[in-house]
Amino acid sequence: MAAAGYSDLTLPRIIYKGGNDNARPDGLRSLLSQVARRTSIEVNREPVALKLSDPNLFKYPFIYLGGDEAFEPFADSNLKTLRKYLSYGGFLFIDDNSAKSDSGFDHSVRRMVKRLFPQTPLRNIPRDHSVFRSFYLLNTVSGRAIIKSYMEGISVKGRTVLIYSANDQAGAWSRNKLGDWNYDVMAGGYRQRQLSIRLGINIILYALTLDYKKDMVHLPIILERLRRYQSP
Amino acid sequence: MNELAKIFGFDPKKYDQWQINWGLEDPWMIIISLGLMMPLALWFFWTSLRRVGSTPKKIFLFSLRIFAFVFLLMVLLRPELEFKKSHSLKNHIAVLLDNSKSLSIKTFPQEISRADLIRKTLEFNKKYFDQLKTEFNVDTYFVSDGVKKTNSGLENYRPHRPYTNFSPVLEELGRNYENKSLQGVLFFSDGADLTEEPEEMSKGILNSLIKMKVPVYTFQAGSNDQFKDLALESVSVSDFGFVQQPVRLSVMIFSSALGNRNVPLVLKEGDRILISKIIEIREDKKYYKVDLQFTPRKIGKRIYTLNLPRFSEESILTNNQKEFEIDVARDRVRILHLNGRPSWDSRYLREVLANNPRVDLLSFFILRNLGDDVAAPTSELSLIPFPSNLLFDDYLSSFDLIIFQNFKYEPFIDKKYLTNIRKYVEKGGAFLMVGGELSFQGGSYSRTPIEDILPVSFKETDIRFIDQEFHPKINEVFSNHPILRLEKDLELTREVWDTLPSLHGANLGLVADKDAYVLAELENASYSSVPALVVGEFGEGRTALLSTDSVWSWNFRKEGGSRYFHRFWNNIIDWLISEPQTRRLQLKSDKDRYQEEQKVLIKFKLLEKNYQPASNVTGRLTISSRAGEIISKDLKTDEQGEQVFSFLPKQAGFYRASIVIEELKEEIMFSVLKDNAEFEKPLVNDFLLKKIAMVSGGQYFVLDGANDLSALQFDNSEVKIKSHSRSFALWDSWWAYSLVIGLLFIDWWFRRKAGLS
Repeated sequence: MAAAGYSDLTLPRIIYKGGNDNARPDGLRSLLSQVARRTSIEVNREPVALKLSDPNLFKYPFIYLGGDEAFEPFADSNLKTLRKYLSYGGFLFIDDNSAKSDSGFDHSVRRMVKRLFPQTPLRNIPRDHSVFRSFYLLNTVSGRAIIKSYMEGISVKGRTVLIYSANDQAGAWSRNKLGDWNYDVMAGGYRQRQLSIRLGINIILYALTLDYKKDMVHLPIILERLRRYQSP
Repeated sequence: MNELAKIFGFDPKKYDQWQINWGLEDPWMIIISLGLMMPLALWFFWTSLRRVGSTPKKIFLFSLRIFAFVFLLMVLLRPELEFKKSHSLKNHIAVLLDNSKSLSIKTFPQEISRADLIRKTLEFNKKYFDQLKTEFNVDTYFVSDGVKKTNSGLENYRPHRPYTNFSPVLEELGRNYENKSLQGVLFFSDGADLTEEPEEMSKGILNSLIKMKVPVYTFQAGSNDQFKDLALESVSVSDFGFVQQPVRLSVMIFSSALGNRNVPLVLKEGDRILISKIIEIREDKKYYKVDLQFTPRKIGKRIYTLNLPRFSEESILTNNQKEFEIDVARDRVRILHLNGRPSWDSRYLREVLANNPRVDLLSFFILRNLGDDVAAPTSELSLIPFPSNLLFDDYLSSFDLIIFQNFKYEPFIDKKYLTNIRKYVEKGGAFLMVGGELSFQGGSYSRTPIEDILPVSFKETDIRFIDQEFHPKINEVFSNHPILRLEKDLELTREVWDTLPSLHGANLGLVADKDAYVLAELENASYSSVPALVVGEFGEGRTALLSTDSVWSWNFRKEGGSRYFHRFWNNIIDWLISEPQTRRLQLKSDKDRYQEEQKVLIKFKLLEKNYQPASNVTGRLTISSRAGEIISKDLKTDEQGEQVFSFLPKQAGFYRASIVIEELKEEIMFSVLKDNAEFEKPLVNDFLLKKIAMVSGGQYFVLDGANDLSALQFDNSEVKIKSHSRSFALWDSWWAYSLVIGLLFIDWWFRRKAGLS
């Protein structure tokens, strides 16, 4: 395997104090594996974990923040760095791995986001957002456990810089090295897991192409497929 | 009168009239006030005389008070005595001769021009005018859109004025005779006022006629009978258009007495026919509105010509052709951006392009390769087929710039389309290749037309793309190059380049062509000078390459780097699409349109390859018109790399100026205008002439060259006018004030004697 390039896609995990920042150790690697298999994107599968204070943070425009417990609030300086990171074009995906509603992780995330963007609350991401059509055409929000039927996000100057899922996406993505799934999906089975993988790929494609799929050249075909896809 | 003059000490022979004037402009307020106050005051005074027993005494005292009041009133009203001398004057008759160009149109059946018809009429009635001159002051004026008095009569009468507008003519005439006795106006014209609507008379003319209060006798020169003409009466088109965007124009064609025939209306640019349309001319219809549409393909000032066929029997041939100019600009820069795979580099460049309001972006990301397993049916994917046929065959010429970013053409583009890209650049297109593993040799571009157009040649190497850290270093020779200008100041620009974050990854095996400009190189401990940013020219187009896929980090890793990242890409785009400020040879004229007999100034500037002024370089300036080359001259640039040339065009029309220096060539167009508006609305306006005569109380005549005007008579009553005068104030003198004071004193003395207070 060729050595990963500087511009190849890397998904660093954010390290924080308190809680469990690595609740799904195989999640990101498994997703990258799917990205490499299904798309033309070149990926770097080496696991990378960073603190927000790490100067290498600005080498990776996509970061993942996951966990299943409450965590300690970030220092103001770290939040300032994160704010700058997002305004320069970075993207943050937050994933609640607890598979519980009203979890400690959820409280910590909402507290953090409120400090990060005091004037901009988390909002539900509408179904016509590019994240639902950046590669796969999706009309549902999946995950290992469907805690919420929607994702939330924050947009700055028309670009969504942060997406938060409460449905343990990484849990659905995780496979061990033998290829077996690490966690059972709750209620949905194979289709639900596949939709979660598709959503993960779409989130990455959105970060890499933004609103590309809303360009006029794509619209007629996409709208026609969506019409067929959504009709019973 | 004589005695009065003697009292005031004048020679009575010098004056023949006198009158009293009141000094106050509006004395009524004083008269009304005193009229109310005086009876009241007198009544009080009369009652205060009750203690005076003698009635004659009472009446005497009361009379004194009345006199005092009367004199007070006189003082307040400021009366003046004016002595004046008057004498008689001749009344005026104004003769207006229309000298606009339309009077040169031939009229039938006389087959002489309208102006000659007027001349003939005036000569025929010479005796009448001579007689008129003995009784009246006959003033002759040439009129068109203004009034010019003439003393030479018909000698200088020449139909040459370019515009007719009678409203200011009549207004100015009215002003000229404001304090004079104008008894009548004789107006010789074809009535072809360019500002008047058909079958209407404007308020301007009406108001002037009402104000003048004199009869205007109108004499129509020429008629519309048997007037044969085919004319492009007007062309309505914006003087500004956009390249590749349709331009709409509306043409009004006028036809008179040409029978039924089909005529072609042709729109040309130079010798190239853009549109041809058949117009069905019919005997009973005069006006034809034709809408046309065409698409300009090149930017700059473009000159277009509309043509109708010329028929020998026409009265006017000059109005069968009309030229117009459109300044064709880019509304937006159309960019085709192809990405071999989604990456941070392509994402950040797309953001620059998509957020630039000048850019009309069409981008494609190759999201899956043939070997990828998407694990879903096509109906559940948002992927669309790559329309290579449309992009590289049908619509290729519509793009201003094509960007291949880390893009391998196979299997998405047929190799034959690379030849189309080569032709596209050769004809003036722009091409940019941005580095990555799939670019250059990695994209299998060796020995393809793409290698031809890029300013580098490919050298076989074991490592085509290396992922190492490099420092970007600009080439000092080209530090003035517009692409490298990240700040206005040169020193600041150098500082910015020194502080930009290092880059990761470079395409190797690129050797700059001899005529290429290597603007920046990459260097690290292992490699000393990897061409990083290379630009060049191919045919009429420009190409560039960037041999790394990591400039996105300038936007992401450097505080404030976003500004420089955006500027860097915008500079590259501007240079590639040859925006005027990026051209080494610049040519311009001081105006776009000149009037006849106006001097034209042409200036050019030459920059060296490193964009420093090129001094002492000789270029050949050529100026040509439709008739051919007019001037061809060698000119040398000064220290600023500039030179100016002036010349006086001998005739109206469209001109082309071109400058050739070494391999560079620039061309501009300008026009010298001749106003032919008079021939665009050539018809005689009998309605207007009839209406002017009717409203003013005059009469309307149609000239046939032998009209007898002797029946026209004008009122010639005596007009007196004051030649000199002298005024005396009757109130502002010692005796007037003494009289008032004296009367009041006598009044006081008698009252005291009578024992009153």
